[in-house]
Amino acid sequence: MKSILLSGAVAALLVFSGCSSKEPVVDQPTKPAQEVKAVETESVSTQTAMVGENAQAAADTNELDMAAVERKLSSVYFDFDKFNIRNDMLDKVSNDATVAKTVASGYTVKLEGNCDEWGSDEYNFALGLKRAATVKKALVAQGVQEDRITMVSYGESNPVCSDKTKECWSQNRRVDFKLLP
Amino acid sequence: MKIFFLSLILFTLSFGDATIEVIKKVDSLPSLAMEDASVSYDDTFRLRFFKALVADMNVISIFNVDRHHNIANYNDVNVLVQNKDMNYVLRYKLFEDDDGELNVVLKLISNEDEVFTKSYKIKSKKVYMFLSHAIAYDINSFMGMPSVEWMKRKVIFSRLLSPKKSEIVIADYTLSYQSAVIKGGLNLFPKWADKQQSKFYYTSFDSKKPTLKFADIRSGSVKSVISSDGMIVCSDVSDNGSKLLLTMAPKGQPDIYLYNVGARSYSRITKFSGIDVNAQFMDNNNIVFVSNRLGYPNIFSKNLVNGAVEQMVYYGRSNSACSARGNYVVYKARESSSEFSRNTFNLHLISTKTDFIRRLTATGVNEFPRFSKDGDAILFIKNYKAQSSLGIIRLNHNKNYLFPLKSGRIQSMDW
Repeated sequence: MKSILLSGAVAALLVFSGCSSKEPVVDQPTKPAQEVKAVETESVSTQTAMVGENAQAAADTNELDMAAVERKLSSVYFDFDKFNIRNDMLDKVSNDATVAKTVASGYTVKLEGNCDEWGSDEYNFALGLKRAATVKKALVAQGVQEDRITMVSYGESNPVCSDKTKECWSQNRRVDFKLLP
Repeated sequence: MKIFFLSLILFTLSFGDATIEVIKKVDSLPSLAMEDASVSYDDTFRLRFFKALVADMNVISIFNVDRHHNIANYNDVNVLVQNKDMNYVLRYKLFEDDDGELNVVLKLISNEDEVFTKSYKIKSKKVYMFLSHAIAYDINSFMGMPSVEWMKRKVIFSRLLSPKKSEIVIADYTLSYQSAVIKGGLNLFPKWADKQQSKFYYTSFDSKKPTLKFADIRSGSVKSVISSDGMIVCSDVSDNGSKLLLTMAPKGQPDIYLYNVGARSYSRITKFSGIDVNAQFMDNNNIVFVSNRLGYPNIFSKNLVNGAVEQMVYYGRSNSACSARGNYVVYKARESSSEFSRNTFNLHLISTKTDFIRRLTATGVNEFPRFSKDGDAILFIKNYKAQSSLGIIRLNHNKNYLFPLKSGRIQSMDW
């Protein structure tokens, strides 16, 4: 009796679980790139009239993915008046190099050098650039292709905070990573 | 005792730097009163004009200016009774002519004699402050004092509004007149391209690479000159406008380049692997620039013909901006080195021929010094607490003036 009930319950479960999945379930891939490819093939093969719209959707998704990858790249922080990479930043740079070589391998990497508020003149801009250049050198040393990397310095014109505190100043002395298609 | 020595140093009069003359100038300045005989415009505008004129007459530093707003008739024979003991009386009349233009006639009266008269006209009363500057300039000339040509010149500066957003503004030296000429995006380091101040260079970050652009105010046209990865700044323009000193960084290496405007070609001037920036033309084929080739930013000179480099400043451990004029260099020195508190940057003046050195400012963050063309004054940016101001140092009069900016932060400027 028990075994009949049990097998009946199992069978019912199977039936009901089978019935509930009416819509085709798209595989949830681990890598975002696969998702993009799936959308593109669907639009081309089924609804040709809507190719334009879906291509735009694909482009938007591309941008979203670039943004998602960009978030994996962490900024590198520097000491006052210095442009060498600190010991506590070495792991971050290594992680960034790994991301640049793998997930972000289809993009150009733009390194943005920044400074704290002490001095808006050319020297400060150059310091920001030297920070970007040091990070670039480290990335290249860890296998990222040199021609995939561009640099720019914003000096103190791109702060993330404006409080007059040492925490804020240390957050502004940084190199940010941005991706370009 | 300290104050006595301080005032001794402060009242040093001229660049004849072997001597110190002690004269308490304030008491010996002739007194000047103003009489407003205007017949047009409302009280608000008349008062605004009066205040601008009082401020300018103060800046020329040759009178003890009385601040009372006296009302008079232009053709009265005698000065007002309250002004009868003044050494000079400046009586002026504002009137609007049939074309709607702002006119001023004035006379300078001394001992009941009219010693100087002049009339002026300007199209729009919105730019009344330039009229006031012209009046002060003329009276200064009449009194036989060294030129204050810089008072009539326009200042161009970039103002940071928010991260990666700025605008380029043209103003008078007091910042009473301001007109934004480049808006939107990030545009920095404006630099006048000609003596007439009708064209300027600036750095734009709107394209893929930082780009040097050339704008003509009269036609409104903007052209790209040259781009560079990393950074590009027009540091100086030669007197005749044919050559530029640029800081560029192809491959991320900031160096100084000499750019020939006509030929559109450039040559690299510095080869040091660190930072070389902020070059300024000096006389005799020399330039001064900022370099960290000794391990910290300092001021050097270089001869463009034989390539010889010479250290200019032997004080301080961080001298990171400079401007040159004749035998003098003004530079910015960091005077505290704290990562954890506000820092002080002060301006210093040195002679390239003697070991003369003089500190020009005392507090706050004073940066971006720029000599005026006539060498009489230095313009600079002062950031103190949350306020950004344009500062003027009158070298021969030992006076500093500050004109605060109401919003935003001044990033760089030229005049």
